[in-house]
Amino acid sequence: MAANPMQQFKVKTIGPKIELGSFDISFTNSSLFMVLVVLSIVSFFIIATQNKSLIPNKLQLVAEMIYEFVAKMINETAGQDARPYFPFILSLFLFVLFSNMIGMIPYSFTITSHIVVTFALAIVIFFGVTVIGFLKHGIKYLELFVPKGVPKLLLPLIIVIEIISYLSRPISLSVRLFANMMAGHTMLKVFGGFVVSLGLVGGWLPLGFSVALTGLEILVAFLQAYVFAILTCIYLNDALHLHH
Amino acid sequence: MDLKELKNKIKKTNLIKTTSETHKGNAFGIAMRMGTEFVAAVFVASFIGFYLDKWLDTKPILMLIFFFIGAATGILNVVRTSKMINKE
Repeated sequence: MAANPMQQFKVKTIGPKIELGSFDISFTNSSLFMVLVVLSIVSFFIIATQNKSLIPNKLQLVAEMIYEFVAKMINETAGQDARPYFPFILSLFLFVLFSNMIGMIPYSFTITSHIVVTFALAIVIFFGVTVIGFLKHGIKYLELFVPKGVPKLLLPLIIVIEIISYLSRPISLSVRLFANMMAGHTMLKVFGGFVVSLGLVGGWLPLGFSVALTGLEILVAFLQAYVFAILTCIYLNDALHLHH
Repeated sequence: MDLKELKNKIKKTNLIKTTSETHKGNAFGIAMRMGTEFVAAVFVASFIGFYLDKWLDTKPILMLIFFFIGAATGILNVVRTSKMINKE
């Protein structure tokens, strides 16, 4: 029996059906895992920083490493001016990282494998960055779409291209995360199905593949969280320092 | 030994170098960035063209034009991303 590899992405309602106007806002397995992700992040940091000491124990070391990793990333890509946005980027990074990692546990649900979730995150970043840019530079922020040293004849075309390039940011940001997670989990499931259907005789090869793919998926889970956070920093940098 | 001396001593060891070099180790992540960068631009541009067509009643001219502009934008995005990565 080979299960449908797309079955794992199905969103199911848990508990009673709640409706608000014409919207279905019932609690689903996706929401359950979002709550789990947030709870595990919070409890991890509470436990890790319970007894702070100058010489950290292992948990505190991990917490400090995550903090420093993100702090360094922001400093290198967006500079000192981006310091006030550190809490947002740290939470974003942790949320994506934890939901990717918790999704790697068998029988769990990967919330980042749905484009609604990743697109919601990306669109918030997109509007946030745009608002920051306009607040910081006023109407001059529109200069982002007019690169310097372009012949006047080409300017209309270039402006259109720049605007499309700007608008494509939330799409590429969300599609990248969602596609990576969905493709990886589907592949794992397909190879898992091969193990079952080929049985004791031929099942060993796909089993080996499954093990290797799991390793690769854990790498991808971390990498995608990292890429998501660093691209947010890069967009923030564009909004804070107006130069192209 | 005062703090300045200690700082210089730490700088001389390779401790600081190793932390910044971990940055370069994710060529895999870079490769994944390029593809979506290109596709997203084409997608967005075609989308804009499609709705402009609907609005101005000029099917399918604007969508075709915007598709090619989108492809150009995609290439620009990829070039920009790779430039940025080279700078790092």
